Amino acid sequence: MDLVRDVMDKKLVDRKDCEMGRVDGLVMHVGPSSQPRVTHILVGGTTPWMRLGPVFSRISARLARLWGPKRTEPVRIPWSRVKTVGKDIKLDVMAREAGALDWEIWISRHIIERIPGGGTEEEE
Amino acid sequence: MRLERLLVLPVLFCLACKPPTPAERMDSMLSWLATARMTGEAWLRQTTPDTYSRQTLELSGEKIGQVATDLLKSPPSGVDAAALDALFTRSRVRVETMARLIAAKNAPDFGRQLDSLGADEKLVKRLVDSIEHKQ
Amino acid sequence: MKKILQITLGIVTSVGGFLEIGSVTTAAQAGAAFGYQLLWAILLGTLCLIFLVEMSGRLSAVSKHTIVEAMRERFGFPFFFIVLVGMVLVAFLVLIAELGGIGFSLQLLTGIGFPWWAVPVSLLVWLLMWKGTFGLIENGASLLGLVTISFVVAAIRLHPDWSGVAAGLLPAMPQSDKAHYGFIAVSIMGASISPYLMYFYSSGAIEDKWDETYVGVNRFIAGFGMTFGGFLSMAVLVAAALALQPRGIQVDDFHQSALLMTTALPRWGFYLFAISMLFACFGAALEVSLAIAYFFAQGFGWNWGEDLEPSKDARFSFVYTIIILLAAVPLLFGIDPVKVTIMSMALTAATLPLAIIPFLFLLNDPIYMGKHRNGWLSNSVVAIIIVVSFVLAVISIPLQIIGG
Repeated sequence: MDLVRDVMDKKLVDRKDCEMGRVDGLVMHVGPSSQPRVTHILVGGTTPWMRLGPVFSRISARLARLWGPKRTEPVRIPWSRVKTVGKDIKLDVMAREAGALDWEIWISRHIIERIPGGGTEEEE
Repeated sequence: MRLERLLVLPVLFCLACKPPTPAERMDSMLSWLATARMTGEAWLRQTTPDTYSRQTLELSGEKIGQVATDLLKSPPSGVDAAALDALFTRSRVRVETMARLIAAKNAPDFGRQLDSLGADEKLVKRLVDSIEHKQ
Repeated sequence: MKKILQITLGIVTSVGGFLEIGSVTTAAQAGAAFGYQLLWAILLGTLCLIFLVEMSGRLSAVSKHTIVEAMRERFGFPFFFIVLVGMVLVAFLVLIAELGGIGFSLQLLTGIGFPWWAVPVSLLVWLLMWKGTFGLIENGASLLGLVTISFVVAAIRLHPDWSGVAAGLLPAMPQSDKAHYGFIAVSIMGASISPYLMYFYSSGAIEDKWDETYVGVNRFIAGFGMTFGGFLSMAVLVAAALALQPRGIQVDDFHQSALLMTTALPRWGFYLFAISMLFACFGAALEVSLAIAYFFAQGFGWNWGEDLEPSKDARFSFVYTIIILLAAVPLLFGIDPVKVTIMSMALTAATLPLAIIPFLFLLNDPIYMGKHRNGWLSNSVVAIIIVVSFVLAVISIPLQIIGG
């Protein structure tokens, strides 16, 4: 599997096919004797911004501390949870539990739902 | 590289507006005189509403004044600047009068002013043609 | 049969692209200044757009991914982010101009100055996105946009010299004013080949749940839709050439373009112009706002969809809410929408290569396209468009300085 081509930046979907972001980074374990292998998928946080440069990473961390769910750490999903890798990557997790929807829920509760007609983000 | 280029553009754009030549200013003058006349004709035929017609005539008058001021700073060669000034002032005042006549809904007087505006326009056109002919 | 009704996606896309305030102003300026001579620029823009839009639709229908999604996946986050910045900057300027265009139309109809309309108009556009579905927006904007056919009626009633029109469809250099001619030509191209149209169409195909069976009808929809828009744009040019050029009226201000149909259609011409611009700019405003929100959501992997309740795609809804709010602000201060649109067209021309190069790769990728990859014709056309876009990118600034 070509990691860059087949995994990086792909859309992640959970057990119920709910969109939960994109593969922004990967954690690799490089042992002294074994082949390097992927241990975790990283979603969000400062991970994508680091790919632009350290300046962007620092700015995004600073902004993330000011408002929103106040999380700067990316969501880490163990590679063992990957079910299939195709056009999208299907995971054996629930998006909410993994923390992938923290921003979505925060914006929904604090902004969208306060506007008339916004509805509620709770699942039926 | 792309990002820098994007930043440079607005700056260049602001610096970009090179001043028009006297010939271009004369064309602009003709354009606004013609706009005033076309709007006047449309109003008389009741093709355009009062508010729009009045606003457009007021705008035309303003623009005629602006272009006249700029033109007289550096008038085209071989033209009597004082006569030009008189002609432009007369046109501007006429257009402003027409705007007020719309507010008063005075069609007959408006029609007369419109005819005179047509004559002014012809004079300016002849002037532009003679300048181009000399050049 | 039902698939043919999806033509509304094509129509709304092209109305938003060809009949928004930028295109109408440039077409009117072109006709008033150069008669029929710049018709070829509209024709060229239309042809390019037909191919690009068809490809956008085909990618979505076959891969079930939009251009933005595919671009992020194949080109990575840094490239995506650069295109995001460029595209959103331009689209935001266009949004300001369109909201201003709606305000102008209302000023024509009521006499109340357009800055006063900034807030109500933005609110209405936002409300339609907040409560409306994609189908409602798509079909509503298309249907209302049909009133722009009055431009064609007006042009025909002015008795154009058809041989002159035909000659105008072929590129030629003018005798004088070459810089101004070049500037308007570039503006027309920049106004026609707007990347946000492709992102909108591609997302619309997903919103309308297209699949591989739509590949054939997509060709028809893209072709017919863009031709419709291009044709209407040409009608504006012809009308200006016949109504304004003989009188020596240059189109420097919106008030002057309002005179376009007053001689051809004495009773209704003025009102038809105002109403046409109203609906066209409305459709364009919706389209651009959606395109920006789609770009963010699809690129970052958020939930998105116009049919969803706002809280179910909170970040997507948040983006369009914020940008519509921000776009109203300059208008409140009376910024001239026409000046904004001219700036946006120059920026579009300068950033076009960035938007189009991905097409060459994505439309030939077997993982996304399967057996529906580009043929030699489509690839050749994209290659030509890329070359044209580089040329536009390079000359747009000098031309802006000399001929603007």
